[in-house]
Amino acid sequence: MTALVRTELRKITSTRLWWGLLIGAVVFSGIQSLASAILAGLEAGAGAPAMPGLETGEAVRTVYPMAMFTGTYLFALVLGITGMTGEYRHQTITSTFLVSPRRARVVVAKIFAHALMGLLYGVLGLLTVLVVGGAAMSIRGYGLGLDAERLWLTNGLAVLAVAVWTVLGVGVGTLIRSQVAAIVAAVLFTFLVEPLVTFALAGIDALSMDWLVKWLPSNASSALMAPGDVMLDYLDWWLGGLVLLGYGLVLAGLGVLVSVRRDVS
Amino acid sequence: MREGRQVDVVGLTKMFGGLKAVDDLTFSVRPGVVTGFLGPNGSGKTTTLRCVLGLLTPTSGSTAIGGVRYRDLPDPVGTVGAALEASSFHPGRSARAHLQVMATAAGIDERRADEMLAQVGLTEVGRKRVGGYSLGMRQRLGLAAALLGDPEVLILDEPANGLDPSGIAWLRHFLRALAAEGRTVLVSSHVLSEVQQTVDEVVVLSRGRLVRRGTLAELDSGPCEVLVRTPRPEDMRDALAASKLDVAGLDATGRLRVLGTTTEQVGRTAFEAGVELHELVAEPSHLERVFLELTEGAHAGADKGGPS
Repeated sequence: MTALVRTELRKITSTRLWWGLLIGAVVFSGIQSLASAILAGLEAGAGAPAMPGLETGEAVRTVYPMAMFTGTYLFALVLGITGMTGEYRHQTITSTFLVSPRRARVVVAKIFAHALMGLLYGVLGLLTVLVVGGAAMSIRGYGLGLDAERLWLTNGLAVLAVAVWTVLGVGVGTLIRSQVAAIVAAVLFTFLVEPLVTFALAGIDALSMDWLVKWLPSNASSALMAPGDVMLDYLDWWLGGLVLLGYGLVLAGLGVLVSVRRDVS
Repeated sequence: MREGRQVDVVGLTKMFGGLKAVDDLTFSVRPGVVTGFLGPNGSGKTTTLRCVLGLLTPTSGSTAIGGVRYRDLPDPVGTVGAALEASSFHPGRSARAHLQVMATAAGIDERRADEMLAQVGLTEVGRKRVGGYSLGMRQRLGLAAALLGDPEVLILDEPANGLDPSGIAWLRHFLRALAAEGRTVLVSSHVLSEVQQTVDEVVVLSRGRLVRRGTLAELDSGPCEVLVRTPRPEDMRDALAASKLDVAGLDATGRLRVLGTTTEQVGRTAFEAGVELHELVAEPSHLERVFLELTEGAHAGADKGGPS
């Protein structure tokens, strides 16, 4: 099994996509962190609610783990998706299954390898926000804020959440083999459908369907980061984590089942 | 000499939707010889090979390598080497990395990747991305991948595609040497002439069904046709008639067509009659014609599409 995981890691690192996505994640995390540090403590106005100040743990968590997660998770998702769909797109799946005809083991190895890459993305994203966000907070005179309430627990959880999103990507890629279709579907869902549904069902007071939308994967991820109650009554952080992990396991499990039976032509 | 493993296909049928790509196919491939797996495009060759390699699940029937299903082989890479399509490499990965990835998965020493690159003549370009490779280079890489585990059985799908004549000659020597070591070598092709000088035995497929199996000599056992060019065609015609040889008129370039004979016999006849010859040649596409006749059902049915 470790040989198969090493094989999958080698596949990822022997092409250029992974560091292209990593650069995207790092840059995007830095921008998020910078923006959060600048906007923290802003008065309410122009339709926006007041932002908690940088003296609060909530604001510091937004500058560090929340910014890292927001900047990184889509890139991690795409890495996971391409890890699977790339094999079909370039027909390397033939070689893969010839070398390892026990397909379930291949998919499981892929999940582990991509989870490890997700951890790497998360850690590097975290280093980025610590540097960028820390600098911005220092300039604003708040110090680094590294002793903020629940900061390091949340940092760790955010890194884990990124890893789970990579696994989600592998699962999506097994179910939708077309690379373009899989990426478009996943990004549309997380970027458009989920926020719209969340906004429509939870943001409109008359509906107030927090109880439903808080179970969606992005909202479960946010719960993990324990943000302030901006719009939604999030799940408890630990429950959010379990829900996210559940999505990952269900998608990955379906991926294993489907791959084992499918013809490779 | 190796012990060798036989490849068996027994009653294999594979349907794609309503289309029968392979229809109750049974044959065996012996170790120690090169077997040609022949048939026009769309006759089910690739489908059969993919079933043998556990990539497709047969609708019915079974396949085995040394009596074991591919998916149950304890050491697939060390048992069977396969090259299916020249395009199945990640364009952004180098040839060397591709082989190293395979070696890692199969638990083979990575230095073997460099050995294989050297063996197929790709050492110089091995660190470049496969996206820039020619079709012939990809074929060589496919062969290197197939040989990585030093397998007993070699299964190659259209390996001569994209190779230039020198490449085909190289491939021929290579495959013959592998078979001489006692390995089982199965090579598919839709062009008989590509593999004619390579294979000992043939399995001919048409529309998913077996139409002929046996040695190449058996396939080629029909009477031969000899073409003769001479400045004195009338005298040559008389001499041939006197030797009771069957002249079937002139071909498009003005050569006499002599049926059911050999170049030796026609040459001797001309020599004894004192007729000057400018060209004496055995019809080279004779075997090709037998092949086309065997498989023409597939050509007549132009409606047949689907995976090959």
